[in-house]
Amino acid sequence: MVEKVVVKTDYPSTGVKEQGTALLATSLLMQYRNAESPALNDFSLQVQKGEFFGLLGANGAGKTTAISIFSGFFPPVSGTISIMGMDFQRHQNKIKQIFGLVPQDLALYENLSARENLLFFGKLYGLGGHKLEGAVEKCLAFSRLTDLAGRLVSTYSGGMKRRLNLAAGLLHNPQVLFLDEPTVGIDAQSRNLIHEQLIELHRMGTTILYTSHYMEEAQELCSRIGIIDGGKIIEQGEPAELLRKSGHKNLESLFLHLTGKQLRDA
Amino acid sequence: MLNILTVTVKELLLLKRDKAGLLVLFIMPALLVMVITLVQENVMELTGQKKTKMLLLDLDTGSLGSLLHKQLELGHIEIIVWDGQRKSSDLQAAITRGDYQAGLIIPAGSYEQFQRAAVLFPNQQTVDDEILAAQVPVQLYFDPGIMPGLRSGLTAQVQVSLQTIGMGAKIENLGKELSGRFAALEVLTQFSTPPLTELTARLKEPLLSLESQPDDSGKTGNRSYSPVQQNVPAWALFGMFFTAIPIAGGILQERKSGIWIRLTSLPVSHLTFFSGKVLAYICVCFCQFLLIGLIGSYMFPYLALPAFTLSQNIGAVLLVILFSSLAACGLGIFLGMACNTYEQASTLGSTLVVAAAAIGGVMVPVYAMPHIMQRLSVVSPLNWGLTAFQDLLVRGLSFPAIWADLGKLALFFLLTILLSWKLTRARL
Repeated sequence: MVEKVVVKTDYPSTGVKEQGTALLATSLLMQYRNAESPALNDFSLQVQKGEFFGLLGANGAGKTTAISIFSGFFPPVSGTISIMGMDFQRHQNKIKQIFGLVPQDLALYENLSARENLLFFGKLYGLGGHKLEGAVEKCLAFSRLTDLAGRLVSTYSGGMKRRLNLAAGLLHNPQVLFLDEPTVGIDAQSRNLIHEQLIELHRMGTTILYTSHYMEEAQELCSRIGIIDGGKIIEQGEPAELLRKSGHKNLESLFLHLTGKQLRDA
Repeated sequence: MLNILTVTVKELLLLKRDKAGLLVLFIMPALLVMVITLVQENVMELTGQKKTKMLLLDLDTGSLGSLLHKQLELGHIEIIVWDGQRKSSDLQAAITRGDYQAGLIIPAGSYEQFQRAAVLFPNQQTVDDEILAAQVPVQLYFDPGIMPGLRSGLTAQVQVSLQTIGMGAKIENLGKELSGRFAALEVLTQFSTPPLTELTARLKEPLLSLESQPDDSGKTGNRSYSPVQQNVPAWALFGMFFTAIPIAGGILQERKSGIWIRLTSLPVSHLTFFSGKVLAYICVCFCQFLLIGLIGSYMFPYLALPAFTLSQNIGAVLLVILFSSLAACGLGIFLGMACNTYEQASTLGSTLVVAAAAIGGVMVPVYAMPHIMQRLSVVSPLNWGLTAFQDLLVRGLSFPAIWADLGKLALFFLLTILLSWKLTRARL
């Protein structure tokens, strides 16, 4: 069940959380060239508006492929996707205005400053004038980089880059946010800050689809999770409910029980 | 359009901060144009397009040396005269060392022998057959390293000069003889024979003349062929096509990081990104041409080179720069999409550009290449650009002469963009 939360922060919000489907993926099939098996195979997923959904899976399970398809990086071989009730293929440009993407690899120009990066991506989202300036300043504040905004990204630490990478996906105040392992390879402090930021975004009503390896993190953040293996969702539900039903103490134990201990990317 | 400008500004900002990229794009072609032009200026001397220096050692006391000196200087030979204080061995040593490309020795007694040899009606009592038959032995030496073409050219010029001097002396003797004999015949004195000097001059007058094409350089505002007019546009083009490498590098950096997926997720098409990049690098190409043109115009005279002069048809020149830039950008975008690593793109890109420059006539003029390479040169985009530049800057032609080359450059751009677009779709 998705709870209704009234926004209490000054961050631009989508307002009261709405009922309904934010993302609906049906029977997606994705096969890479020269790959033996499909990356996604009969993959179906429904994420409700305002939900914080965690997509958990081993390396090569299909998490990044799913995020890439949802964000329009490549189309599936078959299957359909709709975001906020709009068919992706038919309303791509409209849909691209309402979702934000935080890729797993850093999506920043190292030889531009944080402000220049945000201004660049903001302009391409169609922002301009005071609206753009306001969005950039908010994102800098959000990522705690206001004082260092003029420095080249190449001089930033890994954690600063990750925070900025996240902020760049929020410039246009998206209704749906796709996060592909946003906390990978950073220290505890930066990870904690990103967690707080994501919780804040969720509180404000942003629908979040998030992939991770970190089970504890998913348990802490997500209102619902899906476990993906072999390009297919094999289990999904609220973390507490899943643990109660399966009798496992934590998500990692449940995850290993469902997916086995054999390496997936070997 | 605003999105295109946004991408353009970003590209220029990134380029401004890429010191190595700026070095490749601006300093490299600027250095190349100076070095190659200076080298080719010397090659023109060696190939006879400029005056060649020849040493003349006159061991004789007569006027044969000065006559030969005058005759050779009528051609493109600059004579450095050594007086009789030096020896034949000194001259030979100087030539062998390569100090001079050629040397002439007029042996002692040559003039006296020459005068005797020029006698047409010998007096049996004073001149014997042995002297008559002897030719004057002027000795010609060459640096062993000299090119065969220049060697035969110089030999021919010395031979023509010697024949002219010899013929002149014979004609003068003939005139004298005829005047003397006509004067002795009373009947012939009825006819007014021309005075001796006039007769000699008329006999020396050539019956045939050679007219060369008039030099319209002053009228059209263009210079005739010089390494400067050849090299400034040629190496500017080379620099322009080198923009393909930073363009490809930029695209690969985006593709290999998360930027490409983020850009794809934006409500902006890939065509916008490509257009922004193209616009940025067109600006770079114009700056390159401006820089190299300014070096040619203002710095070359300080290096003892002729100044580069731009065509009066500035609009046409700008169009050639624009279309060449488009072709270069197309190549860069294609490399960026076709290659998988920056190393691949830079190696393939620089190999392609250098090969296209070589067969396109940037390094050696197309007419000087073997026949097969001349036929191959028509596939090089640098050849299309260079031909258009030469039509405007050297031949003084205007728009109609360059349309075909501009069309080829535009087609190359469209083809590379189309292939890149296909690759973009294939990689999604």
